[in-house]
Amino acid sequence: MRTEFLPAVALAAAAALAAPTSPAPAPNPADVSRLALQNALLQKQLELAKGKEFYLLLDAKAQTLTLMFRAALLQRYRVAALEVGVPRVVYRARTDASRWEGRIWEKGNLDPARELDRVEMQAPPPTREGTEIEVKVPQTPEEKYPVPPRYHIRFSGGLSIEVRPPNTDTKRGFWARIAAGLATWLADAKAASGSEPADTLRLHVVMSKTDAESLYRALPPDTKLLALP
Amino acid sequence: MDDVFPPHRRVAIVMKAPGRPFRFVAAAVIATVAVLGLVAARGTGYTYGPAPQQAALAMPDVPTDPGAARKQQTKLLAQYKQYTSALDKLAPSGTYVVVDQTQNRLYIMNDDKIVRTAVCSAGSGMILKASGSSKKWVFDTPRGVFKVRNKIPNPIWKKPDWAFAEEGKTIPKNPADRFESGTLGKYALYLEDGYMIHGTLYTRLLGRSVTHGCIRLGPDDLQAVWDAVPVGSSVFIF
Repeated sequence: MRTEFLPAVALAAAAALAAPTSPAPAPNPADVSRLALQNALLQKQLELAKGKEFYLLLDAKAQTLTLMFRAALLQRYRVAALEVGVPRVVYRARTDASRWEGRIWEKGNLDPARELDRVEMQAPPPTREGTEIEVKVPQTPEEKYPVPPRYHIRFSGGLSIEVRPPNTDTKRGFWARIAAGLATWLADAKAASGSEPADTLRLHVVMSKTDAESLYRALPPDTKLLALP
Repeated sequence: MDDVFPPHRRVAIVMKAPGRPFRFVAAAVIATVAVLGLVAARGTGYTYGPAPQQAALAMPDVPTDPGAARKQQTKLLAQYKQYTSALDKLAPSGTYVVVDQTQNRLYIMNDDKIVRTAVCSAGSGMILKASGSSKKWVFDTPRGVFKVRNKIPNPIWKKPDWAFAEEGKTIPKNPADRFESGTLGKYALYLEDGYMIHGTLYTRLLGRSVTHGCIRLGPDDLQAVWDAVPVGSSVFIF
């Protein structure tokens, strides 16, 4: 439960308890509003918890991104920094940066996608003694799923979470950094200036390299998202 | 050609070099276009700013009449209790297990806290096609939530058809020929649909996706799971 709402709930509860015995003063409208807002968020969380999909809770204040399923915490990632990005063309913003919190975003998928490389094997013809099949030792998850330095979780409706570890470029050489910066800018400029921007809103999330890699390798398909204000 | 036209009839086309003012204008135009292009390019892309500290959500209206405001507050408090209680009921309480099947990690959780992290092995994702028939098996670990239905020490494995097909053996007609002991390690926790958390003979492969869908653990971690996880606990696989 969000702790910052507790005083509002406690105050509201105290006022409500006092109401039948004495003519209590009118409740503070701000407290009532906050309680209504908290209820709206709880209702959304309940909706997600009753669903069949995995979901992410992005808590900007607690600086966490939590992978959940049926109200159970599966993984928690520490968010070092969170920024909100909007597409712009020649300094003119194309979308509105508000109204992304408190809303359920659906069908979140990785870009670039984490491809599952399925191996198909033909069983040998059956005999009484059996046949020894040589099976290769599979790769470790780290070898199997290399994580790009920057990736997105794209949700239907235009929101995208851009995940980057902090200071990813420090180990690279000068020209490599210039090339990477240019490539990023070109991709962003292209995404922003299309007839429909690729992402109407981006949440730029900075997390540790370990967490960023872990999230990329673990995120189930079609994950939902609720950003808590 | 030289024979046809005498030298004095030849026409020389000479391009006159542009004068200084023209060169200056051309350079100025190119420079302006370049600067404008750079400015436009710099202003194109994504602008990032800090996430708003205050909720950008519309705050609901509160009636000005004190009586109506109190009534709304009472209603909201009842709703709040209803939602939190419903969420608490849905969330697993006490010990539960979380399996990250891609990264081959198993977590024993207690009320949202990780009690133990274990290296496991989950489904390989391989497809096995039966010899001489169109039958095939997909070795995936399913995602979702499962209950621990049963816990068995020294489990005996009833080998399914794919185990024989994979070894190139004839599928036995006598069910007694399917039983094998020792393969599943010291303990097995039975989940739904034939999936289990069990031990392995191939501990060197832990951390890699090699199983036919079950979750394999090393002996120490299997013991920890056996001790900590009671029947009826939830196992979340993602």
